[in-house]
Amino acid sequence: MTWIYLLINITCGTIGDLLTAKGMSQGGELSDFGPRGLLRLIRYIFTYRLVLIGTICNALCFFSFMALLSVAEVSFVVPVTALGYVLKAFLAKWYLGEHVSWRRWMGACLVTLGVSLVLF
Amino acid sequence: MSIEADLTIRNAQLKNRIFIALVVFSNSVGNLLMGFAMERMPDFSRTPFLSYVLFVCTNIWLLLGVVLMIVYMIAQLSMFSWADLSYVLPVTASTYIFSALLSRFFLHETVSTVRWLGIALISFGVIFVAETPVREEETENVTG
Repeated sequence: MTWIYLLINITCGTIGDLLTAKGMSQGGELSDFGPRGLLRLIRYIFTYRLVLIGTICNALCFFSFMALLSVAEVSFVVPVTALGYVLKAFLAKWYLGEHVSWRRWMGACLVTLGVSLVLF
Repeated sequence: MSIEADLTIRNAQLKNRIFIALVVFSNSVGNLLMGFAMERMPDFSRTPFLSYVLFVCTNIWLLLGVVLMIVYMIAQLSMFSWADLSYVLPVTASTYIFSALLSRFFLHETVSTVRWLGIALISFGVIFVAETPVREEETENVTG
């Protein structure tokens, strides 16, 4: 079960972040955070397909993480799922067409390594 | 650069920093509260479903945790509207640093040397990425 939960967690987490990032960047920069702006944002989340599917994937990622913690050690789960930082940087370049500079690669690698050590 | 353009960039930087702080704060405190609340919940497999739902709805720490997780989700989604995914994710990884500090000072957990080393590495990673423009394909843009 561990590997199935892990696969669901990494797949859903990656797809979720990619789709929400793509969907949100297509809607223009948000600048109104008053009640009206927030209502507009919530309506956008529920009506814009990319963001909605991405949010559902992120929810599945969250639940699979909880399930994963019930069958595996935290010291195994967190470093493996932290590899997502590098995977998402790669997909941000490949799928979203972002320019990922060496500083960002370096940052993603340092964060992944650091998250693995934080558990001790 | 004109004063108006300078002011626009400063406002964008300020908004970006406020949202980084909001994402980090809501995620780490939300996780802490949910962890704290779940320790006080009955065993799911041994409790009737309706009683469990009642426990969930009356657990103030869990409800506060859920509210903070919603704030985190909305703040992160908002950041995606002006910043790259490869910027937002590493920068908001400062959540791990803040969580470690919260557990050290509020839960009085001991933080080992290796853990401090991990925190230092994450901090370097965050600094590396925070120095890049929020959208890298544009030449003239806002740095975090």
